Amino acid sequence: MNERERLEVLKDILFTDDRDYADKITDRIVQLEQILHDRNKLSGKVDPIVSAQLEAFTKSIPDTLGPVITATLKEEIKHHKDEVVDALYPVLGKMIKKYIAQEMKVLSEKIDEQFSFVKSAKRKIRSIFGNEKEEELLLSELSMAKIEQVFLIERESGILKGGYSKTATIDEELISGMLTAIKSFVEDAFNKGGQSLELIEYELYQIHIQSFVTHYVAVVISGNYLTRSKNKVQDLIFNFYNKYMAMNLDLVMDLGQGRGEDGEPVTRSDIEKELSKYFGNAKI
Amino acid sequence: MQKSKKVLLLGHFGVGKTSLIRRFVSDSFSDAYKVTIGVHITKKVVELPSGTSLSMILWDLEGTDELHLIRNAYLMGTHGVIFVFDVTRPATFQNIQRDLDIIQEKVKKVPVLVVGNKMDLVDPADVKRLLEENDIQSDYMTSAKTGDAVNEAFLEMATQLDI
Repeated sequence: MNERERLEVLKDILFTDDRDYADKITDRIVQLEQILHDRNKLSGKVDPIVSAQLEAFTKSIPDTLGPVITATLKEEIKHHKDEVVDALYPVLGKMIKKYIAQEMKVLSEKIDEQFSFVKSAKRKIRSIFGNEKEEELLLSELSMAKIEQVFLIERESGILKGGYSKTATIDEELISGMLTAIKSFVEDAFNKGGQSLELIEYELYQIHIQSFVTHYVAVVISGNYLTRSKNKVQDLIFNFYNKYMAMNLDLVMDLGQGRGEDGEPVTRSDIEKELSKYFGNAKI
Repeated sequence: MQKSKKVLLLGHFGVGKTSLIRRFVSDSFSDAYKVTIGVHITKKVVELPSGTSLSMILWDLEGTDELHLIRNAYLMGTHGVIFVFDVTRPATFQNIQRDLDIIQEKVKKVPVLVVGNKMDLVDPADVKRLLEENDIQSDYMTSAKTGDAVNEAFLEMATQLDI
């Protein structure tokens, strides 16, 4: 045994613990290298940390970045007023135009009401010189708008999600399919930047259509459909759709707003109950 | 709970899309040819082997030789497509692969069945040879007039949609 070998034996005797420790460290390094080179293993270790960081970052955005974003936006708007106006004008302009037109109609109807004594006199004259009785003329004037049918329809496929009807008609699924085809055709043919078909009129009936992102609501109305009634119908639709969205949100967010809180999917009969509740006895 | 699915029938002019639907829905046939304008919608509820029932909303689109010109609005939200060709008119299936590519491009990831119609007018052996020569795969060979394989084709689509 030469000197070197003797030294090794001596080392073994004196540094046994250290050697074990060094071996353990070596094994651990090999394991870590394997993890680093194996995408799945690395992902298993790193993903939860990244997710936690992302979640914390997302939660902190309003506090940390919010003021910066707001300040930046303010600054950008201040320096690029013309561009902002250009970008918003088509949207706002359309909304304002629509709002003013609707309000003008309401105003016009109110003025008509104020001059109803003139109408009454006219009615009397018509009844004297015409064949119709004054009561009949009055009745026809008083033919108030009534909700006949309501449909909640999937916007793209035209599949009926639920319907409410006071009178028996042809199959509601066929109606919703055809309505969707007509709506799609009109919107496609007169493609004017995201506008939607809102009203279909036939003789004494009107179909009021309110489009949302994934669905639309179609309300069939008979009688004299004035702008006042239109506003009421719109309110009913928005209230119902709000409830419908809450019912669906309950399935994933447990908001306690609707039927879905017990984890069951919203069924057609649930939707039809709600449609009946909102539109069944509504006065418009 | 009964599910509803939108199924489109596509194909060239006069291949018998409307007749196939009429045979399937009302088990009837008419020799009088009336061109479909725009779209016609019908419905049939089918009972499936799984014990569930499915409401098939059948969109019968007007025939066109240029499938890429079909209005996208009609295709949106489609759950399944039945492409129909006329076995007596090669012009309706000569470019079938191109037509199917256009359909797949427009309605992504939905089941598509290929149906050769008007089998009552030809010798099945001749059609088989013709399709083989043109390397055409057809899922069903039907006759709206006699009713051959019509129900089978629609039920196959319903089954695929039930999954």
